[in-house]
Amino acid sequence: MVMEIPFDVANIAGPEIGGTAPPEVIGSYITSAKRPLLVVGSELLRGDFFLDIAIEIGKKGIPIAATGHSMKGFVEKEYTENVTYYNLHELTNCLRDPNWKGLDGGGNYDFVIFYGILYYYASQMLSCIKNFATEPLMRAVSIDQYYHPNARMSFTNISPRMEEEYKDMLRKLVGSIKR
Amino acid sequence: MEEIKKGGIFAIPELQNVRINIGEIIEEEEEWEPMGPHPMPRIATLRDWDFKLLNRYKPFYAPLCDMCCLCTYGKCDLTGNKKGACGIRMDAQQGRIVLLACLIGCSAHCAHGRHLLHDMINKFGRDVPIDFGPKVNIEAPLTRLVCGIKPKTIGDYDKVFSYIEEQIVQLADALHTGQEGSYMDFESKTLHMGMLDSLSKEAADILQIACYGMPTSFAGDGPDVPLVDVGIGTIDTNKPVIIVIGHNVPPAADIGVYLTENRLDDKVELGGICCTSIDTTRVYNKAKVVSALGRQLRVLRAGIADVVVIDEQCIRADVLELCQHTHSPMIATNDKAMHGLVDRTDDDPDKIVDDLVSGRVLGVVILEPDQVGEVAVRTALQVDKKRKGLSYILSDAEFTRYVNDCIQCGSCTLACPNGLRIGKANKSAAAGNVKPLADLFDICVGCGRCEQVCKKHIPIVDVVTKAAYPQLKAEKGKMRVGRGPVWDSEIRDVGAPLVLGTIPGIIAPIGCGNYPNGTKDAWLIVKEFAERNYIVTLTGCMAIDCALWKDEEGKTLYEAHHGGFDAGGVLNIGSCVSNAHIHDAAIKVASIFAGRPLRGNYEEIADYILSRVGACGVAWGAMSQKAASIATGFNRLGVPAVVGPHGVKYRRAFMGRPDIKEDWTLIDATDGSKVYVEPGPQDLLVACETVEEAMPMMAKLCIRPSDTDRGRSIKLTHYIDLSLKYLNTYPPDWHLFVRTASDLPIATRNELLKKLEDEQSWKIDWKTKKIVEGPIRAYNPSFNPTNLERLIRRKK
Repeated sequence: MVMEIPFDVANIAGPEIGGTAPPEVIGSYITSAKRPLLVVGSELLRGDFFLDIAIEIGKKGIPIAATGHSMKGFVEKEYTENVTYYNLHELTNCLRDPNWKGLDGGGNYDFVIFYGILYYYASQMLSCIKNFATEPLMRAVSIDQYYHPNARMSFTNISPRMEEEYKDMLRKLVGSIKR
Repeated sequence: MEEIKKGGIFAIPELQNVRINIGEIIEEEEEWEPMGPHPMPRIATLRDWDFKLLNRYKPFYAPLCDMCCLCTYGKCDLTGNKKGACGIRMDAQQGRIVLLACLIGCSAHCAHGRHLLHDMINKFGRDVPIDFGPKVNIEAPLTRLVCGIKPKTIGDYDKVFSYIEEQIVQLADALHTGQEGSYMDFESKTLHMGMLDSLSKEAADILQIACYGMPTSFAGDGPDVPLVDVGIGTIDTNKPVIIVIGHNVPPAADIGVYLTENRLDDKVELGGICCTSIDTTRVYNKAKVVSALGRQLRVLRAGIADVVVIDEQCIRADVLELCQHTHSPMIATNDKAMHGLVDRTDDDPDKIVDDLVSGRVLGVVILEPDQVGEVAVRTALQVDKKRKGLSYILSDAEFTRYVNDCIQCGSCTLACPNGLRIGKANKSAAAGNVKPLADLFDICVGCGRCEQVCKKHIPIVDVVTKAAYPQLKAEKGKMRVGRGPVWDSEIRDVGAPLVLGTIPGIIAPIGCGNYPNGTKDAWLIVKEFAERNYIVTLTGCMAIDCALWKDEEGKTLYEAHHGGFDAGGVLNIGSCVSNAHIHDAAIKVASIFAGRPLRGNYEEIADYILSRVGACGVAWGAMSQKAASIATGFNRLGVPAVVGPHGVKYRRAFMGRPDIKEDWTLIDATDGSKVYVEPGPQDLLVACETVEEAMPMMAKLCIRPSDTDRGRSIKLTHYIDLSLKYLNTYPPDWHLFVRTASDLPIATRNELLKKLEDEQSWKIDWKTKKIVEGPIRAYNPSFNPTNLERLIRRKK
């Protein structure tokens, strides 16, 4: 079996590391969530396509926490219906607490999807979730172009040369989320 | 009997070889202030205060490693907050690792200070007065506050360092397997370490100010202290060049003295990297600041230096190898960083110079600072002649070959802390467009990890430097010399506006250069807040990096803004150890403006600062263990800090939860009543992903429960405005900070009242334009907030 290398090559946390999966598998994994949350970061702003993907997921009824300065993009796209600005550090601080009421007051989430977030920042927040959001278990996946060992599931590292392939993967992922 | 050495060593003429050493002479102490409750606190003394902080700002952990490998039971897998073989859980293990980081950081500052004390007593004696001129009466706020000591001479710092050293050892002991098991107690210890760190910094800076006559408040000194040159382009490489690196200034100061005494100051360039460079400009007015820490590798590789002199801290571990590559002899001057070189302290300078110039040795150790100047300068004068004509910048042909060698395998990107797409830039350069490579120069943090993994052995750092060389040669900024303490008179002038909120806050950019997106962010932060009339107090690498950029008129921020501790000021306080003066400014607000007693009274002053002094540190490129202990020291004193995204690798943050009402209960000291307040400051340590996000965050963290309505309206104006500017949206929590309609910015009051009515369902009386129902609490101008029951004046 060939192991994927973390995007930041030395980012090997320990014995429990997540696997890589194709978009359809991650999509159906997301479908299995009862209360999923899409957490997006500032790297989303590098192109309309990536922002549109987030909006498509949002339109499937998955609320969006816009971290970093990604909120700017949603406002410009005039899609703010289920989008809330949150600092990622503060958000993760809430996610680790089973008693948190969530962005809508309906309670904490059982599933988080990280997308468009600076690699090393995302990795540390995924580490917090992996280590401390365990009772009840919160599942975390990443759909960035990086392998994230602290997520339960993520894509492989995808070279910038493969950007079109990555876009295809995102399209497939969105298509496979059934809600 | 005659005194032969200051400090009480006497000789008796009749008795050869007899010396009498009179130790400490305990003099009757001046009655300067009654002693407070906690002089020289031990580990558990301020634990109650720590727990008050930790219960509101609960430690948050994001492990960088899921295992513990500190003892032979291990490795232990702690994933999922499991226990290891010794019984420690993941959360406590993270607290332990943070304590370890702060132990290293605090030890660096304390050992630096102790080293200085030895050198200064040896050079000047114990009786050098601590007198910072007519405008600084409270000369050592942290020393008074923590130790209960009012230092009169540098010799008084013996006691201070002894106290710190004992506490460090006790705290280090708590790290051993089978000691502490509670993450809360690990964090209390870490906060204690942070406080010791801030005290160590103050002591170190006071010693060097007192002994070297660095700027304070004597006639001709600050606040508009002189400007100095900053940037690689300011170094005249036609002259012999000495580059000093580190933090401990005596060897560099001696080089300045030697140059001056031998009238070589116009013939030899003395430049520096990191905090030694800042402190050298405080003692030698022809010194230049070549760069902050982030460019160390590139400055050394560029071969600018004819001689490199290192002292301590933040020096690359491969510095000797780098010097060898550029034929630059190295002089190590501190026993903490000797790099395998031979100690030549007692050798004849002629022989040392000859060995260095001839290349028989790559470098030497000289541990007596007053011997460094002569050797460094004489060596530089001769080595410069030998190195004339040599260039360490890649030739055009080499550059072309390397960029064409790149196979775009991506290994460098996987090794890069910022994930920079170097291969893509190389490809561009190979096609004739070097701009993408040149643009990487500032974003690169200069670690060199990319070269370690390059399959084609491309010297990537050199390739990027070559691409950016034209802009490097043009890099010429200006920085104000480190001014040291904030004056008591300045505190008198701004104490009220700061506490009432009409000066919206103090923003303190500090620390290292591990930026996520280059040095320009440092400039942007300073510019944004200075133009909004915050007081911006800088130290260390951020003080240097923000000086590299200019506005449309070609002015750096130091040239465009005044240097006083007042609205709109841009102050270079000094080096890392000088940032204790930022703590000191907050302490002096409590002491001078509010009349709170200082002596041995840490808890009360920290309580005052937390609730009333709108200050926020920002360590946008925090990298080192010292940065961890610095931030923790700020936190114990009630000052929040924002870090850049790399700061999450410190593993621990302190964040509050506005949704948990009980966490935000304060006491009104006037009558003892409990008051639910708005979450100000919401966090004590938090990371932001981008500088755009950090801007409104810093403004928010300057909000305090004590703000007057006018002050709150100013702070809210900036918080909302910065959020609209950088996030394109109102902050989702702005309403939490509204107590009354007069808290709202006048220009947008009606609009905001409408939003409160529509979005938060608050009741508004539109006839009077008053808020009838909605806020967490009503505005009470006589509210006297505290977290300490003992400060209640009269119980209800």
